[in-house]
Amino acid sequence: MILEINGLTKNFGGLTAVSGIDIKVNDGEVLGLIGPNGAGKSTFFNLITGVIPPTKGKIIFKGKDITGKRPHEIAELGIGRTFQLNPLFPNFTVLQNVISSFQIRPCSNWLDTFFNTPVYRKNEAYILEQSLEILNLVGLYKVKDELAKNQPHGYQKMLGVARALAIKPSLLLLDEPIAGMNPDEIDNTIEAIKRTSQRGVTIILVEHNMKILEICNRVVVINFGQKIVEGSPQEIKENPEVIRAYLGSGHDTKH
Amino acid sequence: MGSMIAARDSSSRRKNYTQIILYGILICFLLFIPLFFQSPYVLHLFILTLVYIIAAASMRFIMTSGQIPLAHAAFLGLGAYVSAVLSKHVGLSPWLSLFIAAFVAMGVGIFISFPFARLKAFYYAMVSLFFGVGLLQAIESLGKLTGGLAGITAIPTLFNTASKVPYYYCFLALTLVSLVILYRFEVSRIGWNLKAIDQSYLVSSSVGISEVKYRVLAVAIGCFFVGLAGGMYANYNVTLSPSSFDSSVTLWMIIYVTIGGMNNFSGPIIGTAVLFLIPQYFSGLKQYAPFISAAILFLVIFMFRNGLVSIPGLLMAFYKRKKSTSKSR
Amino acid sequence: MAESTILLIVATIVNALVLSSMYILLALGFTFLFNIMGILNFAHGVIYMIGAYICFYMATVVGINQWLALLISVAVVGLFGIFMERFIFRPFFGNINSIIVVCIGLITVLVNAVAISQPYNVQVTPAFVQGILKVGIVSLSWQRIVFFLIGVSLLILVLLFINKTKQGLQMRAVAQDLEGAILQGINVHFVSALACVIACALAATAGSLMGSYLSLTPYMGNDIMIKVLEILVLGGIGSINGVLFAGLIVGTLDAVLPIWLSGTATQAIMMLIIIVILLFKPQGLFGKEVRA
Repeated sequence: MILEINGLTKNFGGLTAVSGIDIKVNDGEVLGLIGPNGAGKSTFFNLITGVIPPTKGKIIFKGKDITGKRPHEIAELGIGRTFQLNPLFPNFTVLQNVISSFQIRPCSNWLDTFFNTPVYRKNEAYILEQSLEILNLVGLYKVKDELAKNQPHGYQKMLGVARALAIKPSLLLLDEPIAGMNPDEIDNTIEAIKRTSQRGVTIILVEHNMKILEICNRVVVINFGQKIVEGSPQEIKENPEVIRAYLGSGHDTKH
Repeated sequence: MGSMIAARDSSSRRKNYTQIILYGILICFLLFIPLFFQSPYVLHLFILTLVYIIAAASMRFIMTSGQIPLAHAAFLGLGAYVSAVLSKHVGLSPWLSLFIAAFVAMGVGIFISFPFARLKAFYYAMVSLFFGVGLLQAIESLGKLTGGLAGITAIPTLFNTASKVPYYYCFLALTLVSLVILYRFEVSRIGWNLKAIDQSYLVSSSVGISEVKYRVLAVAIGCFFVGLAGGMYANYNVTLSPSSFDSSVTLWMIIYVTIGGMNNFSGPIIGTAVLFLIPQYFSGLKQYAPFISAAILFLVIFMFRNGLVSIPGLLMAFYKRKKSTSKSR
Repeated sequence: MAESTILLIVATIVNALVLSSMYILLALGFTFLFNIMGILNFAHGVIYMIGAYICFYMATVVGINQWLALLISVAVVGLFGIFMERFIFRPFFGNINSIIVVCIGLITVLVNAVAISQPYNVQVTPAFVQGILKVGIVSLSWQRIVFFLIGVSLLILVLLFINKTKQGLQMRAVAQDLEGAILQGINVHFVSALACVIACALAATAGSLMGSYLSLTPYMGNDIMIKVLEILVLGGIGSINGVLFAGLIVGTLDAVLPIWLSGTATQAIMMLIIIVILLFKPQGLFGKEVRA
């Protein structure tokens, strides 16, 4: 079990965004997290990655308690993520975005960095090679020298994924990775996610789109900050409570 | 850093060589300044310009991480006063006190930037402005040590001659070394991380860049060099007065950086030269220098958003466009 | 208690109140500009100074009654506020570096113009209100009382305006969410200009009054901006409550400390107190959580 979440709760003043969530994530699985807008999914990610501190609860990653750690510490421990609104480094090129994300493995110390020693240069060459490989994996190699802010939406989202992969995470959190993409891009992204999972990376996906659930091993449904139901993608698709949560009562199960 | 530089395409590499050649020519020119300009007043202006260039370049280095250090002139003053006090009252050699002053400035910078490293741009600007004013007040109030509002006089000098020429060459060398070091930091991964933090806190922290660590590092380096510049000034100028380091000086440094060009390493150098040296040099009556500076300032800010440094690029683009439209006729 | 002690206490309290109210007027104007336009108006001190000098000029050289001079100064500076919003703030909206640059340009031109054109470095506007009020053993100059009352009334007026009028509501909307306000159809340019006018008018009022309460120098803007800075940093930039609370604290310290300490020591102690508070609360007492 790579990630264990116990009783995670977050209150913003009077609003409870996340309430008493318990989840266990197994090594190497692809876990889907679905729920209507405002259910608390992005808050959930922000809590895990330390962007906001939880009001209550514990987060245990690979046996270590990471509750309340700062985002960069959590990144160092091996949790990578993308963001819903997909911020990037807009003034860097696509390639520079990925290169900048290689902070952890390998990491040159300040002395080596400043004096441009052979150690530093070897690390940087390795980073360049790895970055190009990642860009190939996500299909952005041809735009590597373009500015990130000039890229179309789909490419920017893929860049977000590329960036998250650069830290060689053991756990990858993807926040709505295919939102706003056209069908080709969706297929490419699903391919990339499958390949990443094959490399042994555990993935938690937040999504609306039912299509992406096909690649999940397990799906958890959240609404109003609480876990409603959990099961295989097939079970979830047919669960009446889930359908009610998404579509309101009075609809049938056929799309 | 190696990979980021390799990631650039061939045209920007060509631009780099042009820049290096231009710098080479400039340095040769600078080496002969004392021959062209014999007047000690003019040499004095050049020497002051070199001091301000170090200050402006180090300020810009801090600004690459998104923070605006409005206490910078106070740190210049801190370096100056520390070096003055150490060499005058404690009796250390001015060369030693110069470098100790730089380290003191760096230490104070680290201490004060730590609690505020996570503030957003506006808030950090105001707090640092406030701290700068406070630092200067503190210096003024230590009357016995610092001479209070009247300042210090008879500071031991770096060289034993009345001529300004050795100071000019010495400061030129120190300035070049400082600029090379700052440049080296900027093109290394450290410099790129600072720019990354400036663009997005969320993204940079999600890949393991610690905002506090790098911002404090930027302030440490920036304060070291401005403290050094202050010490240089003190042990050259022999007298110090606190009014030379008040907040308006910091704000003028921002202008040197912004007008010169914030996005380019050469920006502060050009900005200081154009906005400090030229008005001082060409103003018959010293009191009109500020108006000349203000005029240049308004001209540039309204016409060239990216600073003076962007002008050659704009001219090239304009020229290329003219050539292509005339060709298509 | 000895008579002299009572007199000292009363005089100090009144002084504190007058200073506080003037500082608050300035800090409030600055806060408006920050909240509504996202501008750090470094030129605020210079506006204050220009207001003071226009009033002085009208009252002495042109020979008008001081109150009329005050109104003229407010009108002129208010109009200048519209000019500032259109040509100085709007082109550089959002770019803090550029704002600093143009503000400094403005300050340089105005301060040096005034310094060169004035024959004396320090001047005083003739008193607005003559006479002394005697209550028991205590005697206070009417001017101080009136100034304090003016300060408080203006403050109340401005707060009422912000909270009760339609324009005030629009300003608060823009301050909270610019895009939302635009979508609602609020004319953001008008609101910004209005904010500028109010801020400049408040600054001009404070300047004109202080020109008589203290004195006029071309650098009075710089001196008072240090106080305003202390208030903003202590109270939290952008918080009106912070301005009120911190304004009172700073004004009081400014009046009380000089009794025991010298001028520079007063300043240094105040800075120290504020820095210590900031180490615990970097965003100021009422500031919003501003961690990046």
